[in-house]
Amino acid sequence: MSEVKVVNLTKKFGRFTALDGIDFSFPAGKVTCLLGPSGCGKTTLLRIISGLETPTEGKVFFGDKDVTGLPPRKRNIGMVFQYPVVYRGISVRKNIELPLLKRGLSETERRERVDRVLSLMNLKDYAELDSSQLDNVARQKVSVARAVAYQPDIILFDEPMTNIDANSKIQFKHAFKELTRQLNQVIVYVTHDQTEAMTLADQIALMKDGKIVQCNDPRTLYNVPEDVFGGWFLGNPGMNFVKERCEKKGSTYIIVSRLLKRPLKIDAPKMDAEVTLGIRPEHIWLSDVPGSDAVEAMVKDKTLTIGGQYLYTLEVGGEKIKVKVGHHFGRAIGNTKVWVELPLRHLVIFDGSERRIHGDLSLQ
Amino acid sequence: MESRDRKKRIKRRLYHALLWIISLVFFSPILWMLICSFKTKDEILTIPPKWIFTPTLQNYIGLFHRINFTRELINSTFMSLSAVLIAVLVSFLAAYSFSRFKPKGTDLIMFILLSMRMVPAAAVVVPIYLLYAATGWKGTYSGMILFYAMFSIPFSVWILKGFIDGVSPRFDETAIVNGGSRMHIIFKVVLPQVRPGLIAAFIFNIIFVWNEFLFNYIIGGKRTITVPVGLAQGFTVGGGIQWEFVATLTAFYSLPLIIFIFFFQKYLLVGMTFGTVRGEV
Repeated sequence: MSEVKVVNLTKKFGRFTALDGIDFSFPAGKVTCLLGPSGCGKTTLLRIISGLETPTEGKVFFGDKDVTGLPPRKRNIGMVFQYPVVYRGISVRKNIELPLLKRGLSETERRERVDRVLSLMNLKDYAELDSSQLDNVARQKVSVARAVAYQPDIILFDEPMTNIDANSKIQFKHAFKELTRQLNQVIVYVTHDQTEAMTLADQIALMKDGKIVQCNDPRTLYNVPEDVFGGWFLGNPGMNFVKERCEKKGSTYIIVSRLLKRPLKIDAPKMDAEVTLGIRPEHIWLSDVPGSDAVEAMVKDKTLTIGGQYLYTLEVGGEKIKVKVGHHFGRAIGNTKVWVELPLRHLVIFDGSERRIHGDLSLQ
Repeated sequence: MESRDRKKRIKRRLYHALLWIISLVFFSPILWMLICSFKTKDEILTIPPKWIFTPTLQNYIGLFHRINFTRELINSTFMSLSAVLIAVLVSFLAAYSFSRFKPKGTDLIMFILLSMRMVPAAAVVVPIYLLYAATGWKGTYSGMILFYAMFSIPFSVWILKGFIDGVSPRFDETAIVNGGSRMHIIFKVVLPQVRPGLIAAFIFNIIFVWNEFLFNYIIGGKRTITVPVGLAQGFTVGGGIQWEFVATLTAFYSLPLIIFIFFFQKYLLVGMTFGTVRGEV
């Protein structure tokens, strides 16, 4: 199976534009996560690919074939929803076998396929149980197994972990990883949970207001967001943003920031007068002694967060920024005065329309 | 500590005794009816009532010797079953459509449907009589069955819509994606999950149709006569009220319904709550 491609896809519900002219392609053999806040259009995009919704404008291609007008049953897709769809009153095996019955497969073939997905999803012990005896995670695994056994060209996941409790999520993620490693299909996974996207995806397509703002592997997306939105949405908490002025001096542009001891030189062809500096809280260097390139900051607040890390809220030249540091160090510095330094390799500059500026940075 | 426990226990016993007494008060007419059906006519009318008597089956034997009784019984059974089955099927399909396709004004339509149940039967009996007389449906089986079905549908739609709303549309979509047709979804995917609702709708309607008197009396005919109408026509035959006949017939006629409801009473409860009380049934 080759890629799934959407061209100029637009979907309107009344006056509300859910999807705004999306051009994108989903490669085969990779897990593509559609990540974004509620209402950004990610589920709508998934439903249009499945055929459950029809686009207002634009086309959907599976390989070279235009499937825009095809009903879902002719698209050869598998879909797993938020809500674990398991038919009551029949065994797990029957549940998985159900869609296969329609395809005129021989009994041995059906058996083989079901057995294979049962072992893939680690469900062998459940095979003969009635579905009402299962917990939520097992039910959702059955839904996944059913979609996979059907051997579709494309498997779509619509927030499949929403109804699974926190402890079982790890179990489900593990099964999902194991499964996708062995599949060679187009896999699209919709979620609003960044941790899920980060751990499961080969590439993440970040969505906002009906558009895909960036698509990269999780690490790149996290470290160098192409858009202010990506920096803000990812991470816990998201990036620190500081608005600064940018001036042209000779052939280069100079930014004088309250967060930097020396002026910042940026090697870019064109700059707006107002730019935004972005840096993730865990990338800022924090120290309790003055350093050559560090600026002084006041501690405003200090809280303990996940993994024993400390989250500091600091005030630097009238700007509030957040800094995350390790447990031991975080506990040691309790006083009100600290020094911060922003390593240039983690600093991201955005222009007036909040897009990233590509250019070499150096301190003067 | 112990005395408090004892107090609690006594309180509980008293409470249970009270419940038993109330239940018996409500059950007493039925008990009276049952007892009377095994008494002779003279024994029934004795004051004070005779509690010790030799039960006789004579009344029941007499019942089956009456001309028409078998026909009435067959009519009652046939018409209530077919009317209710039609009603449940139609309501199920209607409820599915309302629940899934949500046509414009669904809420209003649902309200209008239910309001049909609020119109007193006596108010519509004359218009319906005129309608049936004009169309020639009066006294026909199909006319009666359709009437009863029509009368049963609104409430059943209400019950079933609640149940179908409780079945996630994701079930439908999974089936669509996997290549199932709409009929497959309705009957193979949704129906098994709303079975309690179907049974509840069935029970509510069968109670109504089984006991219905007024319309059968007015728009029915000789051919379509049911047991309740037969009772009304037969209990004064031969001068005076035939109490042993009334008691025997009602006892015999109520029995199937009582047994049926005894076994399916849990569905009666889920039906009354329109499927909003989940619980496994």
